[in-house]
Amino acid sequence: MSSSIETPLHYFHGQQTGSGDAQVTIFESPLCGHLNLRGNPQDEQFLEGVESVVGVKPPTTAGSCASSGDISIYWLGPDEWLLLLPESRRAEVESELRNKLSGHFSVVDVSGGQTLLNVRGDGVADMLKKSASYDFHSNNFPAGRCVQTHFAKATALVSKKDDGSFDLVIRRSFADYLASWLLDAGEEFGCRVVGGGEV
Amino acid sequence: MQTNRVASGGRINRGNAVNFTFNGKAYQGFAGDTLAAALLANGVDIVGRSFKYGRPRGIVGHGAEEPNAIVQLGSGAQTVPNLRATQVELYEGLEAHSVGGWPSVDFDVREVLGFMGKMMPPGFYYKTFMRPQNLWHFYERWIRKAAGLGKAPLESDPDCYDKLNQNCDVLVVGAGPAGLAAASAAARAGARVIIADEQQEFGGSLLASQQQIDGQPAMSWVDERLAELGNNDNVMLLPRSTVFGYYDHNFLGILERRTDHLGISSPGQVRQRMHRVRAKQVVLATGAIERPLVFANNDLPGVMMASSVSTYLNRYGVAAGNNLVLFTTNDNAYQTAIDWHKAGRKVVKIVDSRPEPTGALVNTAREFGIDVMAGHVVVEAKGRRRVKGAMVAPLNDNASAVAGAAIRLDCDLLACSGGWSPAIHLSSHTGAKPQWNDELVGFVPGESKQQERSAGSAKGAYSLAGCLQQGDEAGREAARKAGLDGESTAASYQVDEQPQQPQQAMFLVPHAKSTSRAPVQFVDFQLDVTAAAIELAAREGYESVEHVKRYTAMGFGTDQGKLGNINGMAILARALGRGIPETGTTIFRPSYTPTTFGAIAGRDVADLFDPERYTAMQRWHQQQGAEFENVGQWKRPWYYPKPGETMHDAVNRECLAVRNSVGMLDASTLGKIDIQGPDAGEFLNRMYTNAYAKLAPGKCRYGLMLKEDGMIFDDGVTACLGPNHYLMFTTTGGAAAVLAWLELWQQTEWPELQVYFTSVTDHWATATVTGPNARKVIEKVCDDIDLSNEAFPFMDWRDATVAGVSARIFRISFTGELSLEVNVPAHHGRYVWEKLVEAGEEFGITPYGTETMHVLRAEKGFIIVGQDTDGSMTPADMGMNWVVSQKKEFSFIGKRSLSRSDMLREDRKQLVGLKTRDPQDVLPEGAQIVNQPEHAPPVPMQGHVTSSYYSANLGHSIALAVVKGGHKRMGETVYCPLADGRVIEAEIVSSIFYDPKGERQNV
Amino acid sequence: MLHIYCPFCREERDEEEFSYAGEAHIQRPLDPESLSDEEWGDYLFFRTNAKGIHHEMWYHIAGCRRYFNVTRDTLSYQILESYLISQQPGVRAKQTASAEQGEQPNAN
Repeated sequence: MSSSIETPLHYFHGQQTGSGDAQVTIFESPLCGHLNLRGNPQDEQFLEGVESVVGVKPPTTAGSCASSGDISIYWLGPDEWLLLLPESRRAEVESELRNKLSGHFSVVDVSGGQTLLNVRGDGVADMLKKSASYDFHSNNFPAGRCVQTHFAKATALVSKKDDGSFDLVIRRSFADYLASWLLDAGEEFGCRVVGGGEV
Repeated sequence: MQTNRVASGGRINRGNAVNFTFNGKAYQGFAGDTLAAALLANGVDIVGRSFKYGRPRGIVGHGAEEPNAIVQLGSGAQTVPNLRATQVELYEGLEAHSVGGWPSVDFDVREVLGFMGKMMPPGFYYKTFMRPQNLWHFYERWIRKAAGLGKAPLESDPDCYDKLNQNCDVLVVGAGPAGLAAASAAARAGARVIIADEQQEFGGSLLASQQQIDGQPAMSWVDERLAELGNNDNVMLLPRSTVFGYYDHNFLGILERRTDHLGISSPGQVRQRMHRVRAKQVVLATGAIERPLVFANNDLPGVMMASSVSTYLNRYGVAAGNNLVLFTTNDNAYQTAIDWHKAGRKVVKIVDSRPEPTGALVNTAREFGIDVMAGHVVVEAKGRRRVKGAMVAPLNDNASAVAGAAIRLDCDLLACSGGWSPAIHLSSHTGAKPQWNDELVGFVPGESKQQERSAGSAKGAYSLAGCLQQGDEAGREAARKAGLDGESTAASYQVDEQPQQPQQAMFLVPHAKSTSRAPVQFVDFQLDVTAAAIELAAREGYESVEHVKRYTAMGFGTDQGKLGNINGMAILARALGRGIPETGTTIFRPSYTPTTFGAIAGRDVADLFDPERYTAMQRWHQQQGAEFENVGQWKRPWYYPKPGETMHDAVNRECLAVRNSVGMLDASTLGKIDIQGPDAGEFLNRMYTNAYAKLAPGKCRYGLMLKEDGMIFDDGVTACLGPNHYLMFTTTGGAAAVLAWLELWQQTEWPELQVYFTSVTDHWATATVTGPNARKVIEKVCDDIDLSNEAFPFMDWRDATVAGVSARIFRISFTGELSLEVNVPAHHGRYVWEKLVEAGEEFGITPYGTETMHVLRAEKGFIIVGQDTDGSMTPADMGMNWVVSQKKEFSFIGKRSLSRSDMLREDRKQLVGLKTRDPQDVLPEGAQIVNQPEHAPPVPMQGHVTSSYYSANLGHSIALAVVKGGHKRMGETVYCPLADGRVIEAEIVSSIFYDPKGERQNV
Repeated sequence: MLHIYCPFCREERDEEEFSYAGEAHIQRPLDPESLSDEEWGDYLFFRTNAKGIHHEMWYHIAGCRRYFNVTRDTLSYQILESYLISQQPGVRAKQTASAEQGEQPNAN
């Protein structure tokens, strides 16, 4: 069944702009599980319920993310988070959350609607400056921060990794546009899109 | 021959000769020259013709203020109009042409056209071209030609531009002494600093200065600052970068010219870059602009600003003439005569309007043996194509009139200085009101409206020591206010400077004759505005400076009156018998200098102009040769033409296939919102016109959403997925607005309702399989549920496995046929789509696009929100009261409005069908409907056509229309007069043309 | 371009991330059916259109998708505060003078 899967940037894998060695690499992850989680951050039971399933409480500090093992959890809003996890664990985590949580919450599978990119290389800071007005300088945006923001003429969830690279979660329907945008913006540095193969 | 190049000195590279052409003639200059410097070096006197009078004009200034030397570079696609030669760096092969004195296409062409007509006396346009109005286009062509506008390129720009968003603690504008001191101070305090300067080199006035700082040449101090700043990772140095606008909340625009100094075009590189800067604090160290003196024939080539004469000499090694007369009202300009004398050229006289100049520079000049004519003024320049002499006359005691006969001084260069005007443009952009300062004889920046401060000569500090000190203070203050606590101590820069005497205010030099009779005295060189014109405007009753600006066009050029405005306002003030502060100044607006469209557009051009949203099946559609239609930002297949088919053929084929066998539509673009929470049902009840609370899991319901004014806002099906769990479909175009609408009511009005909304639009790919054979197709790829009508009836949904992929199937229909909408996670979208195509092959499954979708739904009379409705249509207007529940306890959104008196009018426009008399006539959408086409105008309009198609299934055209009182007018004949003169006759019929009982979708 | 403090994201963001959502503090009548056409029309259509201090709603559409209130001076475009929908403004029209003396317009 794996051949039935196409990630949003499937047709961009291997594309490159600029000459010479690419200084910016855009790596599209293989299909991940994306779960949108809503709940009351003041409800300790909710936070603990999530922790019991994914190993960490949803971060309640604006613009921060946390992770445990192969699951990352991003703050999207005061009562909204994104869980990123291997697709192979998605169904199990989703149903476990439903079992463990009670009261007013929601868990929605949005895996088909978005994709995870990792962007790295010397030109990344400038490429981000071309795309968004948000201040990604390390003074303002250290590793562990995430932000949902206007990106080119679409939106993206951007987070900073410990190794200095950036993760981008973008919507599927805008993926072609954003990939074209990034390749164009990265032309002066040399920019390449790499696929992560299939799960 | 570079006849005017002096033997040594300047910051040019004499070892690197550069060839260029001006108006077709070849010249040579040196690397480091501006075009203006090279033209002066080559003895080119005339660089343009004036806008109104066609008078010869020469180079006046040396920077952004230059009004005359406006050139067009390059040719063909690679051409740039309306550049100032004083700011164009010379490069090998540069090709320049004069554009006349007329400025640019800048931002708003209409504005340009608006004042283009003001020729000759002020108000010439209003007086001459107003009637007959329809001749304006004729006048316009003539005026354009006469004015000599720069030419916009006709081909696509081959160059690449982009935009960078910047964030910083402190933005310093200007890298002269004050700016560099400010940037250094802020950087030392730990601030993230951007310092931008429009010139190729940092240093500002110091680039042409003979002064010393800390006991060394000023440029050594500049080099030290640059080394210090350059080594700091938190500092960005932006040379060749004009801060052109200061916008709300400390947002500034910078235009960086990255390759303009290398050639006309640099494909493959970024030619210009727009920096969009959000600065916590700003230091404006934009310097000052020397003010011309207004006397007769002051526009002759060879009349220049004193500081420009010095700049060309000291910085570029160009002496712009031989025999200099300096005309000044202040001490500062004496430096020009001293520089000129030191260069071995002749200073004929210094003419100083002040009766007893005794300042330090005055004494130095006298020590060099230069003769000073105190209490005198130049009343008139003599010469035809270049200044040949200056007529000099004594002033009376209060400097209001000449007090004796004029004598002639022979000269070929007349350097003038009427003092300085602080460059307050950016400060003005913030809304700060310029303040007149009598002592400085100029406007200084008004009280700050944003997080900014000015420093140096931009604030009226004209001594070098003052600039350095103010800059240092401003830099430290800015860093502190940006939140950097690292207290930095004041820098101490030593400058040996002698105090200067006060200058004299002189805005219009007296002449023996009255202003209107004296030879023309120019105030605004670029637009040929004279002192007489301003006085005339005052006599004609114009009192406000903003009106006089528009009447005379003063300051309307691309130079925004950088040289002329202050003189012009002062002349107006005198003519009105007022002071300058009461008369005030016009407000400068962005851009400081013209900005290219390329940089404004950046990379948002061509395919990247607007996002194109694709479904997971996009590549398949492309491979099938689909034509696409824009729906919002989505690209949707419009129709799939086979070889040789017209659109009409293709749509007819697709329509017949759906009704006769089976078709398939990519419906992935519909908005989808997951709704969960204990109060989800109640919430839907409040948002929709019909009832949702009792919708059972597995069931779907069609609903209408109204705005609070009762008008239809969106429609779609909502399915109950489980207890307290729903999936709402919205229109493709309305998805984002509907989500915002739901959030608005939940968050702001009913926060007590526990419900969460999550967009899942992108998560699902949707294949709508529709037609009598739809079930047979699905049965081939889905065997885990009972697809029979009994087990899975219309308006139900089921979880199922389709082609091995977990899916949801909805039995909802927009065609009126048996429909099964297959939803799978989008990463499986293309795979499942192709499996369905395979399965449908034996039934001739036909992919169809939005056009066929529109035809099929119109046959059924199904509305499209936004096409058949326009924000003024109620459910009753659409004949859809069946979907409005009057029984619900809660007054749903829009309900109260439905009973307002206007909503109950019987003559509201109502949705009907139209059947044309000639079944082949297809009415144009938007056609107006009348009762009597022969009625004398104005003809009462009855409504308009909202949807219109040819129906291959019915064999005739069909149209939906909104007609006044239409529901009660079945069978009546109406007429649609078309633009081409034809009148189409049509009968009002039911809006449901096909299967009125709705049986086909229920099988 | 405005720089708007989002009380949920707890930082200032560019205006392009937000959409304007109209005047704040307009409550939907609890029983619309009991209102006259005129009263209902007032609720529907009439707004203060203030020159100066104005309380308005903004939607952080490209960010956290939350609505919040802003007090903005419609003359200077200065934003004086951001606050929650459930809260009352700290700055009101008559207090303008004192509010404008504050250094941090978006202190929340």
